[in-house]
Amino acid sequence: MSTPLHNTVERLDRPSAYYAGKNKKRKYSDDGPERQEDPFDHLKNATTLYVGNLSFYTTEEQIHELFAKCGEIKRLVMGLDRFNKTPCGFCFVEYYTHQDALDCLKYIGGTKLDERIIRTDLDPGFEEGRQYGRGKSGGQVRDEYREEYDPGRGGYGRAYADDQRRREEEEYGKGR
Amino acid sequence: MVDYDRRPHGPRGGRKRRYREEDDYDRRQRRRYEEPLFVKVRRQLLTIAESAARRAEDDAIHIARTVAENYGDDEIKAVFLDTAIELILEQPLKIPFIAATVLAANALNSEPVTDILKRAGESLQGYIDAGAWREVKLLLRFLGCLQGVFEGEGIFPVLEEIFARAVDLQTASSEDASNPLLGLELVKIILFILPYVMASPATGFEPQATALLEKTDIIASTPHALVDLVNPFSLPEHRLTATESIISLMQRQLQEESSRSWELACLPRPWKRISETLESQNETQVEVQDGEEAESPRALTFATKHAFPRVIIPNPVYNGARAIFPEIYLSVYTNQDIETVPPTSDIASSLLRDSLVDTINILDFNRIATAKYLIDVDCYFTPNTFVKRATPFDRLRELPADRPQWKPEDVAVDAVFSQLFQLPCPEHKFIYYHSVLTECCKIAPAAIAPSLGRAIRFLYRSLETIDLDLSHRFLDWFSHHLSNFGFTWKWSEWIEDLELPAIHPRMAFIAGALDKEIRLSFAQRIRGTLPDPYQELITEGKEKDIPDFKYMFDTTPYAKEGKEIMQLVRKKASDDEIQPFIQAIEEQAKSLGVDDPLLPSTDAFVTAICFVGSKSLSHVLSCIERNKERLLAIGPKSPQAQRQIITSVMNYWVDQPGIGINIIDKLLNYTILTPLSVVEWALVDSLEAGTVLAKPHIFEMISATVGKVTNRLRQIVAARTQSSLYEPQLSVLDETLKREKADMQALFRVIEDSIVSVAGGSNDELMERGDGSGTMPEDEIIRRWGQRWLRVFRRRAGVEESFIVEAMTKAIPVGTVAPSPVPDELIASERVPSNGDMDLTEMVQEN
Repeated sequence: MSTPLHNTVERLDRPSAYYAGKNKKRKYSDDGPERQEDPFDHLKNATTLYVGNLSFYTTEEQIHELFAKCGEIKRLVMGLDRFNKTPCGFCFVEYYTHQDALDCLKYIGGTKLDERIIRTDLDPGFEEGRQYGRGKSGGQVRDEYREEYDPGRGGYGRAYADDQRRREEEEYGKGR
Repeated sequence: MVDYDRRPHGPRGGRKRRYREEDDYDRRQRRRYEEPLFVKVRRQLLTIAESAARRAEDDAIHIARTVAENYGDDEIKAVFLDTAIELILEQPLKIPFIAATVLAANALNSEPVTDILKRAGESLQGYIDAGAWREVKLLLRFLGCLQGVFEGEGIFPVLEEIFARAVDLQTASSEDASNPLLGLELVKIILFILPYVMASPATGFEPQATALLEKTDIIASTPHALVDLVNPFSLPEHRLTATESIISLMQRQLQEESSRSWELACLPRPWKRISETLESQNETQVEVQDGEEAESPRALTFATKHAFPRVIIPNPVYNGARAIFPEIYLSVYTNQDIETVPPTSDIASSLLRDSLVDTINILDFNRIATAKYLIDVDCYFTPNTFVKRATPFDRLRELPADRPQWKPEDVAVDAVFSQLFQLPCPEHKFIYYHSVLTECCKIAPAAIAPSLGRAIRFLYRSLETIDLDLSHRFLDWFSHHLSNFGFTWKWSEWIEDLELPAIHPRMAFIAGALDKEIRLSFAQRIRGTLPDPYQELITEGKEKDIPDFKYMFDTTPYAKEGKEIMQLVRKKASDDEIQPFIQAIEEQAKSLGVDDPLLPSTDAFVTAICFVGSKSLSHVLSCIERNKERLLAIGPKSPQAQRQIITSVMNYWVDQPGIGINIIDKLLNYTILTPLSVVEWALVDSLEAGTVLAKPHIFEMISATVGKVTNRLRQIVAARTQSSLYEPQLSVLDETLKREKADMQALFRVIEDSIVSVAGGSNDELMERGDGSGTMPEDEIIRRWGQRWLRVFRRRAGVEESFIVEAMTKAIPVGTVAPSPVPDELIASERVPSNGDMDLTEMVQEN
């Protein structure tokens, strides 16, 4: 059966521009023979999703409750602060089938969990080590420099907050 | 085009591009050029009729003119043909406007029309061969709108031929259960094309239409046996007038319409204005015909005529991937004092619903676009079919009563609910329909929220009579929806119902909804959203993250051993270290005269696992994993002890049953529990005179367990019905299928046998309640729960049975040997282990 070549509206079950960008960069810096490789090939049968913008306080049970609406969950890996081993606002959800993962992108990505709009992205698969934040202070990079106050993600960005504190202390010293 | 994708890209919402990429360069370059004409044509076609500010007719003429004048350009030609067909198949609401564009083009240049007819015909043939009947309907509807450009009788011979196939299917041997339903589906296609033909500029086809309608009547009006199975209202005395199938409803409405000279008021006629405009522009060229009434659209009818595309309808026709069931027209806005949606006496009810439902089901890959088209529904039908968007319900009273007071929001929301509440199941996962409603609410909160409110009230009032499956879908949607909107609901309006007994469907709903809300959030948060009288429903236990370990209290039997076992489980001790304490419990129990000493020891062990693993799902899973061997050994020793595992889990998590259900689900995956043990635990051990049937989480648990079994069986069927399968795998798979099918039937039988006595009021415990007369008010409520449960699981059993029968008609018979030793087949055979316990998912995916 022939399906249309193009859809008349954008599809929500495509990998994100973030994923494409990340891989494109790699592709061009290598300049090797794998130049022609399509970065989306790794996602052709992907059953795993990266889930972002979670609150630090959202539990596995809550995530399970929502994500199981798209199919049975095979594995759930919480993202942890590298040093404290506490949740740091992301996770990996693995389904049994590729279709369930696609449905999750279509029906759950951009909706709310624990009253936050969450982000989902197709992922080539969880590997040991990826459950930890890559930011300097152990959490996710985005939580280092965030200038907005986000009570669900530890207040201000850590680096930003440190910076702010230092400045305030200096100012205070000056005033005296 | 609107940027639908509001998902943030990357860590900074995608606004800050951290890496300069080569397309930045492209973008700057491109800005110097004008948008190429073909890009513009695609954009204009894609957005046709979308804006209430512009006339769709003007856009249609504009596009037609551009295409007609530049048809020599290959890019224009390609983009016009591709986009038109894509739109017909993906956005059915726009079909009349695409057709109008083609009609306008025909008056200017017949070549694009020749090509689009050819393309539509080829596409149509493909979908007919594949048995994709929705696509067939949409393409034929497009052609039906073009009836005026065809020579002779145009579309009618094809409709007649489709009808002939339907008759063949109806009269064929009734052994193949799927055939009569396919016949009905074909009739449905005819009925949902006919009005578009009659609303087209073509005139003089009334005799053909009436003749066709007379023929379809025999098939469409005969009630089908399965209609009752999919009736959303289950109890005999409460069946609304809705028992009529969509097909017989449409048949009746069309007959009505034929007696009113095919008024079909809601269908848009963009061709009228197009015809006038073209005529006034071409006044000098087109000679006025003598004697003709000015009403007939001269500019369109006197343009070139074309042959109807040649399509071959195979005999017999074939049904594709979508299973066909009868459909019933459901509206959540019935019985209001003001009609905010078309009544079933008006053909608009069917026509609007059909286009909206197709739109919803086709565009599942972009729920935001779906929501937008639903909100814009008034753009795609005759102007003034609806009242102005977001007109408050109470204001409708002030409007003149001489024309319909249909609210576009209600019609849209109604269509989504009709799918969410489709029996036996909708085309997509339930959550898709949740997400469409969420998006609708996000796009137009002021318009949609009150409509949803009225829908919720209707469903709440129907809780006693609506099909139990549907009442759970409602529960699940309601809690999920609220979780997207700050858990705000006017709980105060149901306060009176808190006086009802706990087993009343309304109380069961309230308790179930709060439980589900808590599962998506946390108890304290939900408590904060509730008025005072509800506070006591959020018990202290629900706020406890880690429930108490009962062996901590010395009054609990075997407290000492229980504590020891817990400490050992926590320390990840080996099984040998745990064994002495298990034994100690069993010996004590024996000395106390306990029948099955395995029960108290299992209780202590499983409760310890639950407590140690209470921190999170992964904690309990790793606890289970570590103690898997001992857990796996329990079932084979004693079925009672296997059910004790469930009792222990559900008792530990008694205040948060959602977590308990989840653990049970994982224990099923580990085969520590069997599906039968779960069913027997709930419906035999814990039946409690039938009151257990009122607990939403018990239904959820049984439903999920049955789902696991039926899914597995469907995977086996998929493996068994692969097209390139030969002996010996055929026999291996066939054996597996037979074995597991028998297991499934046994499971359904246990459910049936345990509930049937509750439903009939003959359950011993039920009869012993109160004065034993069986006439207490609650007894009647319990009997109804029984009847509703019975209905759901009988339907599931029936659906699975017919699925297997239908799928197996395509299966290669056992005993078929590979035609010749083809290397590929040999490789395939190596994949199948001889015991039949292969990973079915992988096998199916590879093929």
